Amino acid sequence: MRLPRFGYIKPSSIEECLNLLQEYGGKARLLAGGTDLLINMKYRVASPELVMGIKGLPELSQIVMDDKGYCSIGAGITLSEIVSHKQIASDFPAFHKAVQSVASKHIRNMATLGGNICLDTRCWYYNKSKWWRDAREVCHKMGGRECHAIKGSPRCHAINSSDTVPVLIALGARVKVVRKGQERIVQLKDFFQDNGARPTVLAPEEMISAVLIPREASSARPAFIKIAMRKGIDFSMGSIAGLLAQNGKGAGELRLVLNCIGSAPITLKKTVLVIAEAGFTDAAVERAALTARSELGALTNLFTSAGYKRHLAEVLVKRALNELNELPGKNRSK
Amino acid sequence: MAEKYNVIGRRQTKLDGPLKATGRSPFTEDVVLPGMLHGKIVRSTIPRGRIVKIDTTRAERVPGVKAVITHKDSAGIMVGPDQQLLCDEMVYYIGDEVAAVAATDEDAALEAAELIKVDYEPLPALLTMEEATAPGAPILHQYFDDNYADEKVVNYGDVDRAFAESDHVRTDEFETFPSHNCFAELHGTIVDYSLPGKLAIWTPSQTAILIQKGMAQSLGLSESQVRVLNLNTGGAFSGRGTVRPHHLIAAVLSRKASRPVRICMSGEEEFIVCRSAGGSKLTFKSGVLKDGTLKVIEADHLYDCGAYVETQFIQLIIVASTLQMLYKIEAMRYRGRLVYTNNVPYFFHHGGGLVPSQFALGQHLYAVAQDIGLDPLDLHYKNAVDKGYTTIGGTHYASCGLKECIEKTSRKSGWKKKYGKLPPYRGIGIGCGVMSSGGKGLFQHDTSAAFLKIAEDGKLSLFTGLPDMGQGSHTTMAMIAAETLGIEADDITVISGDTDIAPFDVGAFSQRGTFTTGNAVKNASLDAKQQIAKTAAEKLQVKPASLVFKDRKIYSKSDPEKTLSFEDVVFDTLHSAEGRFIMGRGFYNSPTSKPALAYSFGAQIAEVEVDPETGMVRLLSMTVAHDVGRAINPLAVEGQMDGQVFSGMGQTLFEECVLEQGQIINQSRIDYRLPRTFEVPGMEHIIVETNDPYGPFGAKEVGEGPIACNPHAIAGAVSNAIGYTLTEFPLTPERVLEGIRKRDKEKRRV
Amino acid sequence: MEMRIISLTVNDTAYEVAVKPWQTLLEVIRDELGLTGTKRGCEIGTCGVCTVIIDGKAILSCLTLALECEGRSITTIEGISTAESLHPLQKSFIENGAVQCGYCTPGIIMTGKALLDENPDPTDDEIKEALAGTFCRCTGHIKIMEAVKKASHPAGEKE
Repeated sequence: MRLPRFGYIKPSSIEECLNLLQEYGGKARLLAGGTDLLINMKYRVASPELVMGIKGLPELSQIVMDDKGYCSIGAGITLSEIVSHKQIASDFPAFHKAVQSVASKHIRNMATLGGNICLDTRCWYYNKSKWWRDAREVCHKMGGRECHAIKGSPRCHAINSSDTVPVLIALGARVKVVRKGQERIVQLKDFFQDNGARPTVLAPEEMISAVLIPREASSARPAFIKIAMRKGIDFSMGSIAGLLAQNGKGAGELRLVLNCIGSAPITLKKTVLVIAEAGFTDAAVERAALTARSELGALTNLFTSAGYKRHLAEVLVKRALNELNELPGKNRSK
Repeated sequence: MAEKYNVIGRRQTKLDGPLKATGRSPFTEDVVLPGMLHGKIVRSTIPRGRIVKIDTTRAERVPGVKAVITHKDSAGIMVGPDQQLLCDEMVYYIGDEVAAVAATDEDAALEAAELIKVDYEPLPALLTMEEATAPGAPILHQYFDDNYADEKVVNYGDVDRAFAESDHVRTDEFETFPSHNCFAELHGTIVDYSLPGKLAIWTPSQTAILIQKGMAQSLGLSESQVRVLNLNTGGAFSGRGTVRPHHLIAAVLSRKASRPVRICMSGEEEFIVCRSAGGSKLTFKSGVLKDGTLKVIEADHLYDCGAYVETQFIQLIIVASTLQMLYKIEAMRYRGRLVYTNNVPYFFHHGGGLVPSQFALGQHLYAVAQDIGLDPLDLHYKNAVDKGYTTIGGTHYASCGLKECIEKTSRKSGWKKKYGKLPPYRGIGIGCGVMSSGGKGLFQHDTSAAFLKIAEDGKLSLFTGLPDMGQGSHTTMAMIAAETLGIEADDITVISGDTDIAPFDVGAFSQRGTFTTGNAVKNASLDAKQQIAKTAAEKLQVKPASLVFKDRKIYSKSDPEKTLSFEDVVFDTLHSAEGRFIMGRGFYNSPTSKPALAYSFGAQIAEVEVDPETGMVRLLSMTVAHDVGRAINPLAVEGQMDGQVFSGMGQTLFEECVLEQGQIINQSRIDYRLPRTFEVPGMEHIIVETNDPYGPFGAKEVGEGPIACNPHAIAGAVSNAIGYTLTEFPLTPERVLEGIRKRDKEKRRV
Repeated sequence: MEMRIISLTVNDTAYEVAVKPWQTLLEVIRDELGLTGTKRGCEIGTCGVCTVIIDGKAILSCLTLALECEGRSITTIEGISTAESLHPLQKSFIENGAVQCGYCTPGIIMTGKALLDENPDPTDDEIKEALAGTFCRCTGHIKIMEAVKKASHPAGEKE
């Protein structure tokens, strides 16, 4: 599968990059690792006029423990660089685990954190060549009016398939979003929208320059579970990230974030409330897991059946809660 | 019993190992011919319908385009009896070939292909076997009265009486879903049909002869006008046995453009070109006595053939004959039918088409064993065929190590300590299998020929038409020649892959390589040996029959002091007054047709752990025993066991082409879930040698036998782990969970 | 107008080659430089047959633009052995039966080399992790992983 024709520029600075994004708008795409964009271009679901090679841009390639209490990771840092970063591994073990679970080592050598956060949503009916897609009506994600995953749906249901996103949300991470002349900070939990065709709030002339993880989150107990059929290569069938912070008053603040089930990561609210009210009892954990089933929104049969997704959500919540509650010699009441 | 050999039985590294490990071994896509064009095929986007119009005018104007073809250019060229090369009026599946272009570079070819506009009038498509066989369903192919593409019925013995005499009769229905061979090298070809009267085709293949015959027949050429170059084949697994549309399309383009044309599949296209395994519905019924004696097996099979039948009838033949080959039953009834649908055309995955049937029969017998309270291993063992037995179908075993395989795997795996005693969600299962070593079926003969020439330095060139798709067949042939002539495998260069040079060989399928070509090579080596012995005998003043060929020497048995070096004798033969150039020639054709002379047997025991929450299965270990007659190269035999276990595991637990509206919706090597390194189980290899009297040095096949023992070992283990016999294949997590739910429901009812 | 001339080093040899922006490194290595040891497979980064080494890392050349390799140094399968001797990994693959059809072999050897260069004594899990992005239907990865392990054990390394 050959790539389509395109123009190519390698900006020498982020400023140049942002100028070009402003000028080209949606007709330009950023190329960092290439493990998402180039595949989509081979399938002709992405056909930018201009490709901007941002690999190695110094402004995107720093990992800094900044003086504002954040671990700042440049969007252009590769996943392998994060895997071999000792401090990240020790401060944010669940994040480290999530990064290490992305795709394969080959892919991680090339893919970037920014790329994984902005990973295009996936769908069986979308990630295909034009010949394949021509057998069906044009779908929402390709500018048409159909959704093949949920017939009759007015919007796209392609799945957010990032492994790092749920953990980063659970950690309370933010992203630095930049455009020409402007910079804003967006909480990662607000960065995503439940629409497979427009999965993030990024405007065409914007890009992410860094991910900021609050360092205080390293004192909380984290969890990350990815369920996939194969280890070491697969997209997830369902993942969960959890964080149990101790807020000093004895009661913990619990966060649970699911991903790879719908078009956006799902921050569980009612589920968390069950535990907040009843504690980590076996009965409460069961009830919480069941509650999660009702927080998932419309589910597709993409990659797994909707029923299985719902079931996995329950399993993931139970396992995450047990992992978060795990203490040596624990003594849970029934 | 085992004779001591010098070369046979050695863990021999592949002779072409260095070439392959350095990337020097050429595959089809590595070949560049002067003036070569790049081709691209335009395929149907509807599963069934009429072609109203094809407009190629814009495509023809793309700079660099040298040929555009449609049915007008390929009229009369048939791929198979029901398949036109390029569709004229009707298309039969999404992917059916409609047009093609050839251009000076790939970008131009792609651009031109996209500019070919095809207007279709869609017609209702038949996308399941139920739809295709429903009363009133449109008939897909003319000359047929219905949508059954083929039917095979085989009966042996008095089936009804055997059922009547049985203590327990049980029927089970199974459903299997399509899978894909997914070999490393994608399909592709280069065809040079630019010279009058001669066509050269480069393509990976299991059989140069069938490619040659197919091209000749379809294009109206004689076979000698077609030269097939199958340099190396990057995996085959039953997926590369015949001429495919892209071979003939490349030929037509080449003819029109007067230049060589290369067509290579994209990763996505590969899924529809390969003719891999289709879906099936399999019913098994058996009758047993209380003590586990298996009396009768009845099977009714429906296979989704897809849009075109090509050679899928072979699957029915193999399954029918195998049904009576494994157990000492007194009666058998088989009906197998292929059903046309508007899905991708199928053939089968590695395993001679037996994998779905073995899964189903194995699960059925597992359920029978549960019914009568017998250990399934004992059920297999009790009824297993053995040496000297002749089946109800006339299959005779001059060697048979099935029971030995069962015994050894049982002991090694600790079956008796584990079966029925494992903790919940841990399971153990057994699968047995049999596979013919070569045999007639496609032609009246099953011939392999070989010749060799020996240079004056004592080094051999061995010419064979047998391809090496990775199974190590060339190395095995060299070892056979080396053993016969008392030299080393490294002294031999194997020359193959060109029908203008290599002798006739039906090919590397039907598991015939080691047995049939091996015997041909042995005969050719014996022929050469005779010529060399004559010279040596004269020199040593002894009778030729008393000579021993060993360690690159030739010496008299009665007086070992009388020794000459192999090289010297060869040199002297050439430099004598006679000037004889030593050439050995031989061929072999199995005299029987039931279906073969020799059969490999195997047993495998799988241990699994099931996650009852997710339904995911972890294959912990495989204990694999196979009766290969004689392991000519144990290293290669183990390699076959490994690869086939891996492939069997893939088909049983992970791999499914999900079909919807005539398309494979997981049509990529990431969404089609091929297992990888972490899924590999622990392996125990047990090589059983029964020294077959007909095989070269006693050897039989191992190229497909192990995979036929695998799926039911794993499925049986999973069923054992969850306490429910699963009937759908593959055993995806969702199906495993469904099995657990059904088990719980049945328990509540009791 | 579309073509650009780039300089890159492949196997310690400097090349100047005209490339189109949309040509992948895999296409340039094979079609322009004639180094056909690196193979084309799935083309979407899942099978590893196109693996080359850049800056010590196993990289998928099917998902790398040739243009972006301007000034870089790339190692392919052709560059790891000499006329006198094979690389220890190549020897280990041959000796341990890890080569069957040979199509995936170059990509997997390069993957193994990148692993052993960075981690000379990997655990079994580290080998599995490094090789999980490759696919071998013939061997099922079993003898391949053995071959990498044996090439890594200090006693097994041959100079």
